[in-house]
Amino acid sequence: MAAHDGTQNPVLPGVPVPDPAGSRSEPALSVPRVGYSDVRELRGPLLVLGDADGVGWDEFATVAVAGQPERHGLVLEVDGDETTLQVFEGTEGLSLGGIEVRFSGRPLAVPSGPGWLGRVCNGRGEPLDGGPPVTGGAPTPVGGWPLNPVYREPPQDPVLTGISAIDALTTLVRGQKLPIFSVPGLPHLTLATQIAAQATTSSGRAFRVVFAAMGMTHADIAYIRDRLEERSAAGELVLLLNAADDPVIERILTPRIALTVAESLAYDHGSDVLVVMSDMTSYAEAVREVSAARREIPARRGYPGYLYSDLATLYERCGRVQGREGSVTIVPVLTMPAGDITHPVPDLTGYITEGQVVLDPDIDARGIYPPVDELSSLSRLMRSGAGKGRTREDHLDVAAQILSAMARARSAAELAELVGTAALSETDNAYIEFRDVVEHDLLNQGRDELRTFEQTMTRAWQALSLLPRRELNMLSAEFLDKYLPGPVGGARL
Amino acid sequence: MSKLPSGSEASLESVRYALRRRADTEAGRLAEDARAQSESILAAAGAEAEEIRKTAERQGREAARTEAAGRSARIRRQARRTVLAQQEALRAELIQQVQHQAQELRSDPRYPRMLRILTERADSILGPMASVTESYKGGVNATAGSRHLDFSLPALAEQALANRAGEVPLLWAAE
Repeated sequence: MAAHDGTQNPVLPGVPVPDPAGSRSEPALSVPRVGYSDVRELRGPLLVLGDADGVGWDEFATVAVAGQPERHGLVLEVDGDETTLQVFEGTEGLSLGGIEVRFSGRPLAVPSGPGWLGRVCNGRGEPLDGGPPVTGGAPTPVGGWPLNPVYREPPQDPVLTGISAIDALTTLVRGQKLPIFSVPGLPHLTLATQIAAQATTSSGRAFRVVFAAMGMTHADIAYIRDRLEERSAAGELVLLLNAADDPVIERILTPRIALTVAESLAYDHGSDVLVVMSDMTSYAEAVREVSAARREIPARRGYPGYLYSDLATLYERCGRVQGREGSVTIVPVLTMPAGDITHPVPDLTGYITEGQVVLDPDIDARGIYPPVDELSSLSRLMRSGAGKGRTREDHLDVAAQILSAMARARSAAELAELVGTAALSETDNAYIEFRDVVEHDLLNQGRDELRTFEQTMTRAWQALSLLPRRELNMLSAEFLDKYLPGPVGGARL
Repeated sequence: MSKLPSGSEASLESVRYALRRRADTEAGRLAEDARAQSESILAAAGAEAEEIRKTAERQGREAARTEAAGRSARIRRQARRTVLAQQEALRAELIQQVQHQAQELRSDPRYPRMLRILTERADSILGPMASVTESYKGGVNATAGSRHLDFSLPALAEQALANRAGEVPLLWAAE
C-alpha cells in the first residue's frame, strides 16, 4: 500500500490508533488540490493523465467532468509525469477535453468507528439509506494491512449460527475464515443471510455483522435488506451493497471497505465482528476485468497471476490480536462455475481459508435446506471452538461419530442401489435410516429457524439412537449413558 | 297358522329359546362393539382435534411472532429512515450556511488581503508563470498549462467542509 495518514500504533503495527476527537484535519488551504486536465488516453476503465507530478501509487482521485456527476478513481501506475488511473464509474461518455483530475494525496480511506452501524451503503461506502455520509473516527485506508503474525492469536470460541449443519458439524470459530462453496442456483445467499441474521457468540462482547454483497441482482439486494432488517434496526449490522449493474471496479473496493470497518469495530471497539462476503466469484471476475483492461498477462482462465495473493490480502485480515478484545471472522461465499471445485477462485480460496462448507445440488434436489454436503465440508479450527467449556463436552465426539456414520451410510446406500435394501444387513439398513433422519431432522431446518445449540445436540443424539449401540464406538460409555435417548441407555442393542 | 304336527311346539320351544338367546348375545356383542368403536372413534377424533388445535395454535403463534417481528422491523426501519433524513437535512442546512457565509466574505474588509494571499499561494503551487484571475464566485482561479487550481470561495468552503466532516455529527450528537 502507498503511504497513508493513519496514526500507527506503536504496540501493534498494522493497527491504527483511533482518533477520539474524530477527523480534525489541517485547514483547507494546506492541502491544495491541483486539477490536472492533460488527459492523454481513455481505455476501458483506465484514464491516462500527463503532466502530473507528485502523484503516488494507489492514490485516490476525483474526476470532474463538465455537466456530469463527479467520478472517482485510483492511481494504478505512475511513469514519469504520466499517471494511469482506474475510474470506478468507467470512462463512458468522456472525451479527452473537459476532464479535470484532482488527487487526494492519500489512498482511498473510509472513516472508522461505530458510525457505520445500522447504515446501508453502496459498494463504495456511500449511503443508500437517505442519511448523511458516514463520518466518525479517523479516515482509515481501505487497503488495510494483514495482521502481523507475531501479534496474531489463534482463533478460539465458537460463533454460533443457529444452523445445525454448521454449529454441529463444521463449527465456525471466532477469528476463522470459513468459506461457503456453492454452485449457481443453490440457496447460498439465503444461507449467508441466515448466518448474518442469527450468528452470535457467548462471549458477552458486542456482536456485529458486516455484510458485503457484490454483484447482486436488485431482487437479491431487496431480499438481503428485508432479511437483515431486524439486525440493522438494532444497530448491529453494516450493509454494503454492490449491485450487478454497479461499476465493476467498485466491486474490488467493497470487501476492502467491509474489512476496514470490521477491523475498526473489532480492534478499536472490542466487538466480535462477522464479515459475510457474497459473492467472491463476482469479486474475482471484477479483478479479472480490471486486469484485462490493464493488459496484464492472464493466468488460469484469464484471471491474473496475482489472484492468490489478492484473495489472501482479504482473507488474512480476519483473526484475533494480542491485547485486543474483539475478533474478525470471515464467511466468504463462492459460486463455483459448473460446480467445478478446481476453478481458480475456489481452488485458491481453499489454500488460504481454514476449511469450507460445501453445498450440494443433489442434496438440494432432495429438498434439504441448507443443502450442506457434510462429508465434503470441514472446519479445520473446529477443535478450537468446540467441546467442553466452549460448546458442550460431547460435541466433538458426537460430530466425529455422525460424520463417520454418514460415510458408512453413504457406502450402505450405494450397496443398496446394487443389491436392494432387503439384501442388506440390519446394521446397514440402520445406517441408511440414520442418514435419512440426520438429513431430515438434524440438517434440514427452516430458512428463518434459529436452533439453539442444545436443540441441535438433542437432534444429533436422536439420530444416533437409531444405530446399534455397538456401532457408536467414538462415544464414551459415559456420554452414551448420559445423552443417548431411549431405554437402557438408549440405542438399539 | 302352523303346519307343524301337534306337539312339535313344545319340542321347538327349546330351539327357539336357544336361537333367541344367541341372537340376544350377538346383538349385545354388536352393540358393545359399536359402543366401543364409537368411543374409540370419539377418542381418536378428540385427540386429532386437539392435535389440530395445538398445531393451529403453534402456527398462529409463529405467524403472529413473524408478523410482529416484521411489523416491528418495518417501524424501526421507518423510524431510522426519519432520523437519517433529519440528519441529512441538518447537514444540508450546514452546507448551505457555510457556503452563504463564504459568499459573505466578499463584503468583508479583509477580502482584498485574502485575495492577495490566495494569489501568492497559487503562485507558490503552480509557479510564477501561472495565470491568476479573480473568480466570479469570489476567490481566485489559477492556471498553468494543463494544471488548474480552484481557490474560488465555494470550492474553499467545500474543501473546508470535507476536511471537517468528522465534526458534522456533533450537530445531532449534542441533542
